[in-house]
Amino acid sequence: MDANRFDLGGGEPIIILDDVAKSYWRETLEIPVLQGIDLEIPRGSYIALMGPSGSGKTTLLNLIAGIDRPTGGSLEVCGHHLNGLDDDELAAWRNLHVGFIFQNYNLVPVLNAFENVELPLLLTGAGRGERRDRVEEALALVNLTDRMFNYPRQLSGGQEQRVAIARAIVTNPDLLVADEPTGALDAKNAEEVLGLMERLNAELGKTIVMVTHDPKAAHHARHQIHLEKGVLDRTVEVNR
Amino acid sequence: MRWLALIWKSLMRSKRRTILIAGSLVLSVFTVAVLQSLLTTLNAVTNNPNSSNRLVVRHKSGLTQMLPRSYEAYLRQQTEVETVCALQWFGGYYQDPRNFFANFASDETTLFQTFREEFGLAGITEAQMKDYLRDGAGCIVGESLAKKNGWKVGDVVPLTGTIFPINPRLTIRMIFKSPKPSDENVLHFHYKVLEEGVPRMKGLVGSFWVRTHRPEDIPRLIERVDRHYANSAYETLTETENAFNLSFVKMLGNIGAIIQGITAAVVVAILIVTGNTMATAIRERTTEIAVCRAMGFSSTRVLALLLMEGVLLVGVGGLLGVLLANLAAGGVRSSLGAAMPFFADFAILPDTVISCMAGALAIGLLATFIPAYAATRRPITEGLKAVG
Repeated sequence: MDANRFDLGGGEPIIILDDVAKSYWRETLEIPVLQGIDLEIPRGSYIALMGPSGSGKTTLLNLIAGIDRPTGGSLEVCGHHLNGLDDDELAAWRNLHVGFIFQNYNLVPVLNAFENVELPLLLTGAGRGERRDRVEEALALVNLTDRMFNYPRQLSGGQEQRVAIARAIVTNPDLLVADEPTGALDAKNAEEVLGLMERLNAELGKTIVMVTHDPKAAHHARHQIHLEKGVLDRTVEVNR
Repeated sequence: MRWLALIWKSLMRSKRRTILIAGSLVLSVFTVAVLQSLLTTLNAVTNNPNSSNRLVVRHKSGLTQMLPRSYEAYLRQQTEVETVCALQWFGGYYQDPRNFFANFASDETTLFQTFREEFGLAGITEAQMKDYLRDGAGCIVGESLAKKNGWKVGDVVPLTGTIFPINPRLTIRMIFKSPKPSDENVLHFHYKVLEEGVPRMKGLVGSFWVRTHRPEDIPRLIERVDRHYANSAYETLTETENAFNLSFVKMLGNIGAIIQGITAAVVVAILIVTGNTMATAIRERTTEIAVCRAMGFSSTRVLALLLMEGVLLVGVGGLLGVLLANLAAGGVRSSLGAAMPFFADFAILPDTVISCMAGALAIGLLATFIPAYAATRRPITEGLKAVG
């Protein structure tokens, strides 16, 4: 193992980043965002990616989630080398292995809670009955069974985010990625959502990688990884 | 939820916009379908297969000038000729000038043979034929016209002349059925009613309708007849029945070019409107599309879903447009069919329906493809940032 690699220890790695780099081009000007990221995250971890604005934490999250591609290095996530997958394979991989939780929930406004949660299942080939069971199970887990047929506009922000979490877990992915999941919530709802994510990690064994600015939110994670100007700065184990 | 439900819900996210664009599609398809059907109807008038072996002989100076009836003897002598029917447009009306329909004074002895396809001779009994031939004040009417006016055999129809100063009272002796509705909106009465009622028409007629044995005989017969009467007091203009009908259609101007021009303008306008609407609808969903792709929807699947939305929108709009055009065609048939017989055949034919639907679907695909393709090529991370 590389001596510079950030290894959080604790067993079989679910995420392995090897000298990962990401740059953007503005006309002829190369703007490096991430450089030389070496990182191993074990299955079942709960990671908070932290750092100042522009440090590259969202870019790193996007690379791990397979919605962006690195300009250097290699990524292995959930047992797959992402560099070798084409766009369609990557899409299928995300459907199977990754659940997304966004800051603004990003529910489809014309679909009710049930249908929003059902959306990723349409790609799995599951039958109607199986889809119904899994959606009901996911909504029960986030305690929204009674709001199943409400549309996003009929839900509070906290409820919308819980629907989004149900949508993220309904395909039973190994990995949950969350980008500022409490950024749009008040303190009470934020605490509720963070508690729910903690349960998903502790009880269901989901690996969670969360980007956050909020130290309180980060405190719910087991490890904090700090980035500074596109490089890994330090990891901190959270004592709870 | 099924894919179709997802597409439908996405389409109905802005009901007002969807209804407005569908409405514009309905009107566009309706307009195109009606105009193209009008063109088809007019083309049918000038390409009537029943007319392939019929000629019209009239005065070279125009239809208002008469020809001597004695010309009929010369025409009959030609070996190519099967029969000749003297025919004069009477132009009368029944009860009200607005109740206008085609009515002719015609030679009853040759009428049925000359126009045997139009009269559907199989349905006409010998007794009816005898009744008409025997009664000099008798007339025959097409079934559509009889139905419209509530006429039956034996009824007396008083016609008010507009061109000729007589008002004949005609007894219906036969109601005939024709393969084409347009041929049923007509009334014929004995030529002698006109000759006896209007002294200046004695021995004269507006036109001769000549039936030849074979269509191939027509060109040389035309040439021979017109040459025969060249430099006479009554020079002739002989032409095929289709050419004769075309001269009436031409009075409307270059209707074909006008209709095709309007159709092209409608298609371009609706393409721009639909394209703009779809582009706006897709742009508004940039984030939603990015989220779906993040969840595992491939670009191809997203593109297909968006295209299906466009196709569904124009499909529904197109279908309603065609249905509306069909309803309108029924209205045109019943309201104009009597006054302008060719409108009795006005219909939205399957070919027109297929063309309109194919055109609408092509517009839907084209208008949706460009913004949809751009949306699915956009990096997911950029789409997610569009949230703000």
